[in-house]
Amino acid sequence: MSTNLDVNAVDKKIQSIRQIASELKEIGRECPALDRNLVRLSASIKMLELNFSDVASLDA
Amino acid sequence: MLNEQPYWNPVIETLSREKLRSLQLKKFKAIFKWAYENSRFHRSLYDEAGIKPEDIRSLADVRHVPKVEKSMMQRIQRKDPFPYGDALCVPLEDVTEYRQTSGTTGQPVYQPDTWQDWEWWSECWAYILWAQGYRPSDRVFLPFGYNIFVAFWAAHYAAEKLGCEVIPGGVLDTQARILKIQELKATALMATPTYILGMAATANNKMGIEPASLGITKITCAGEPGASIPSTKKRMEAAWNAKVYDHAGATEIGAWSYECTAQPLGTHVNEAFFLVEIEDIDTGDIIEEPGRRGKMIITALDRIAQPCVRFDSKDVIEWDSGSCDCGRTFRIIKGGVVGRADDITKVKGVLLAPSAIEEVVRSIEGLGDEFEVIVDKLGDVDRIKLKVELAPGFEDKAKEIEPRLKDQLRLKTNLGYRIEIYDYGSLPRYDVKAKRFKDLRDKH
Ligand SMILES: [Zn+2]
Repeated sequence: MSTNLDVNAVDKKIQSIRQIASELKEIGRECPALDRNLVRLSASIKMLELNFSDVASLDA
Repeated sequence: MLNEQPYWNPVIETLSREKLRSLQLKKFKAIFKWAYENSRFHRSLYDEAGIKPEDIRSLADVRHVPKVEKSMMQRIQRKDPFPYGDALCVPLEDVTEYRQTSGTTGQPVYQPDTWQDWEWWSECWAYILWAQGYRPSDRVFLPFGYNIFVAFWAAHYAAEKLGCEVIPGGVLDTQARILKIQELKATALMATPTYILGMAATANNKMGIEPASLGITKITCAGEPGASIPSTKKRMEAAWNAKVYDHAGATEIGAWSYECTAQPLGTHVNEAFFLVEIEDIDTGDIIEEPGRRGKMIITALDRIAQPCVRFDSKDVIEWDSGSCDCGRTFRIIKGGVVGRADDITKVKGVLLAPSAIEEVVRSIEGLGDEFEVIVDKLGDVDRIKLKVELAPGFEDKAKEIEPRLKDQLRLKTNLGYRIEIYDYGSLPRYDVKAKRFKDLRDKH
């Protein structure tokens, strides 16, 4: 079984999560619960990028 | 639906070869630039060789990048930023994981990882486990010492990521682990081949429990070549009535290779996350074609805290010529990691890999799992002795077994051996990784 995933559409959504996470990181610098959880979230977003965005960027 | 998907990531695992190579080049450029700009160690290595990030324009250019050897890492460590030294590419406060190499030669190499690196480790393992049929309904038992060595740590996190239920079987002794597997009806297991066979022997001989009755359906091996040695794999599969799969990984590299459920007598290289090159041991040429053995030079394309760029792993491998029934486009290395360049030695002028002896011993019915190989010298002549054990129930079969063993050894390794046959239980047992090959020639 292969996939019908539209990698470019998936990448777009990933980039919007990345954008929101960056904004939150910026405003959470004095709040450990925000800052430290965003480090974890950012690592998970990176895994999505490795799996999908890096492939999408090959076509760019 | 999800559980029927054979690939962890169908986009990447079926990518065309052309796109995979483009992805590798793009990522190599990025990790090389990262190491050059953030690690004093890497920058001076590359400056000395006169190579800069902009010099990498094709995969052929990659081979001009100097290799990194373990001894170089040993030299730069135990200095500030302590204990990692000049190869650390991130602020020390971003490091969340510490592990170290477990080799027996010299100072261990310290391995720092950021949380992103640790996610990456478990992502690599997620590819492995999904390809080997692990699914959220599995109850996975991990019988290893949870400590400073990476071992199955990342497999633990990956199994959680898949949605499996993970039972940490650290500290318990072998019998307690077997009872826990039985009590909780675990479905999957991960360990070294030595330990998988040792657990089966303990269950059978000391506890009167048939390991095949325990309900384990799949076993993932690491740390030794056994799961890719057909006769050892067969013994493990028969003992546990389970499918046994190989994988390859290392502290300084990551989990870079895995067998799939099609069991192609080899392991796929995760080429989206790693760039594997094979180098001729004598000439240093890069081997592109299948069927020629060499040592692996590997780059982890996404690991950032302490990058692994063209690391001289000393693992001996060769490309397979075929494709796999599973449909993955990741290339296969034939028979997995055959051994270490350091272990493959010349005896009487003939190249000998200890794994070839293992394949013969374990293919002969009536011999136990344990053996020991001792190479020494009489005058100027190499001698090779093989100690084996008779399996329970074959106590009076030594005379029949010995000539068969000698013939097979001659056929598979081109060498003559002095054979010593012992009763079952006479040879040393190993808990995790075995040391069955002893070369005493330097001591004369
Ligand atoms: Zn396959």
